[in-house]
Amino acid sequence: MQVRWLLPIGIGAAATVQVAHAVQYMTVAQAQQAAFAHAARFVPIAADIDTTALGAPAGWKPLIWRVQNASETSGWFFEDAVIGKSELITYALALDASGRITALEVLEYRESHGGEVRLAGWRNQFQGKSVADPVALDRDIRNISGATLSCRHLTEGVHRLLQLYAHVLAARR
Amino acid sequence: MQHRVLALAVAACCAVTAMPVRADEAALKSEVEALRADVAALKAEVAQMRAAPAAASTAPVQASPRPGSVATSVSDAGASHAGGGAPNPGTALGDGTTLWGYGQLDYNRPTSRPADTQFDLSRAVIGFNHVFDDSTRIYGELEWEHAIASASDKGESEVEQLYIEHALAPSYGVRAGLMLVPIGLLNEHHEPTQFYGVERNFVEQAIIPTTWREGGIAGYGNTDSGWQWDLGLVTSPNLGKWDPSSGEGRASPLGSIHQELQLAKAHDLSLWGRLNWLGIPGLNVGAAVFAGKIGQDTSKQFEGNVNFPADNARLQLGEAHVRWQTGPWDFSALYTRGTISDTQALNLSFLGQPTPVPESFWGGYAQGAWRALEWNRSSLVPFLRYEEFNTAAAYAERPQGPGTAAQPTQRVWTTGINYYLNPNVVFKIDYQNFHYDDALLNYGNRFDLGIGYQF
Repeated sequence: MQVRWLLPIGIGAAATVQVAHAVQYMTVAQAQQAAFAHAARFVPIAADIDTTALGAPAGWKPLIWRVQNASETSGWFFEDAVIGKSELITYALALDASGRITALEVLEYRESHGGEVRLAGWRNQFQGKSVADPVALDRDIRNISGATLSCRHLTEGVHRLLQLYAHVLAARR
Repeated sequence: MQHRVLALAVAACCAVTAMPVRADEAALKSEVEALRADVAALKAEVAQMRAAPAAASTAPVQASPRPGSVATSVSDAGASHAGGGAPNPGTALGDGTTLWGYGQLDYNRPTSRPADTQFDLSRAVIGFNHVFDDSTRIYGELEWEHAIASASDKGESEVEQLYIEHALAPSYGVRAGLMLVPIGLLNEHHEPTQFYGVERNFVEQAIIPTTWREGGIAGYGNTDSGWQWDLGLVTSPNLGKWDPSSGEGRASPLGSIHQELQLAKAHDLSLWGRLNWLGIPGLNVGAAVFAGKIGQDTSKQFEGNVNFPADNARLQLGEAHVRWQTGPWDFSALYTRGTISDTQALNLSFLGQPTPVPESFWGGYAQGAWRALEWNRSSLVPFLRYEEFNTAAAYAERPQGPGTAAQPTQRVWTTGINYYLNPNVVFKIDYQNFHYDDALLNYGNRFDLGIGYQF
């Protein structure tokens, strides 16, 4: 195959777009705005989490915000990270006041493998789920072939946040 | 029994409170109220005591997903949101370097040739990746096959992947180095936890030579609508390596001539392309091609074969697949077909040898798996797979002679169970039924056991 001429062209093309690109798809503020357009305030919450009781890794400390409209809690917002295949996926989860998922956003994805968890179709499966649902891969959340590890770990992460909401935050509304 | 305790307690209380002789009515009344309260409290206690043993016996069955107290304290005040959330524990080796791996041990017992039963540490793999910066990383995979690799042993030690990846944008980038060919369902995802049965399916060994890798440069990307694409310019197999005297080319035509970037002849290059659509969760449908010249100008090489008549031979391999995973079900089907051109003169020079170069080869399978049982992190997944493949469906026309007849199509049924101790550790058992036996190619009904892991 006469493809020798393709090489320099390819290399040239790669070099001209040789700009380091951030892998951030959304900032926390953007995700908050998207999930709660009319929220008055995002109040950071510090929670001492008993990780063993939640089956979470030691030192797990997601960022938590209580979303307030006037004096009412209108929902909760989390930022957390899980390992995809071998690198971190940073994601945000929004719950309404009753603990149902209203949005799951991938904020940063660093690997090329398993990046399909960003697909809206996949993330939309989480809509409306609460701690009462299994939120488990291959049960109520379908897998993406070829991105199994990322799908599984992200699903586990969301499950953990729902547990956190149910056991720690729900009581404080 | 508890009633008796209660009655005794009440009687005792009455006796004690009835003691004062000079009690006026008001005092008496208030004492009766107090007594009533005491009795009520006692009743409540008794009720609790009764309920307790019953609760204790049901608790373990319920396997409560909600542990009692999780937080020790929660407060609005501490806005300690400076750092990011802590990740799951990975196998981090320090700044930006991660280690991962997988392995597989297989026990095969041919039912008609029990003397050939063997137990093999098929592969042990250590992979790593290192992140240089936000957009650049290196992936490597080192593999040992059959436990020991040395001059006097049969094992192999190999670099299975080693490439630099540079993201040009979040959704696309380039890779350069030794890469897995993006084709089929297994080649890129060949960890033992990812497939059913002890051995990888035949189609993706005999026709697509998993784990197939080539060296070169490739682009990759995906879109928000679920498309995933790959395009690469890479090394080709080397037809000059074809050994007509061994069965290797019959077991896997491409497996016997791929070069794995081992001093690979790189005069002829190939292109690969793949398009997958993952827009519906659980669905993977796609197709791939690998095409290029594979003669490598063998006749003109310094140490080549001046009589090699297939410098212009060209390989074309196409593949299409679909996989549907929903709830406990996992269905997949794949078809692949390859052709090699300009083999007529080459095969003529191989006259009398058992393995000429095929003009076409193909294979396909359909597979269904069902997660029948699941408890904690474990699961039991029975599966059934049917495969048809032919590594030499046709030879280029040439004068009649020995070895010109096409091979019969092999048909294999495989049924078994994957027992996942957890999603990353699997024990397997299966039985494989072959349409025809061929000891040289290791075809023949057999019973297999396997162990696999991934981390």
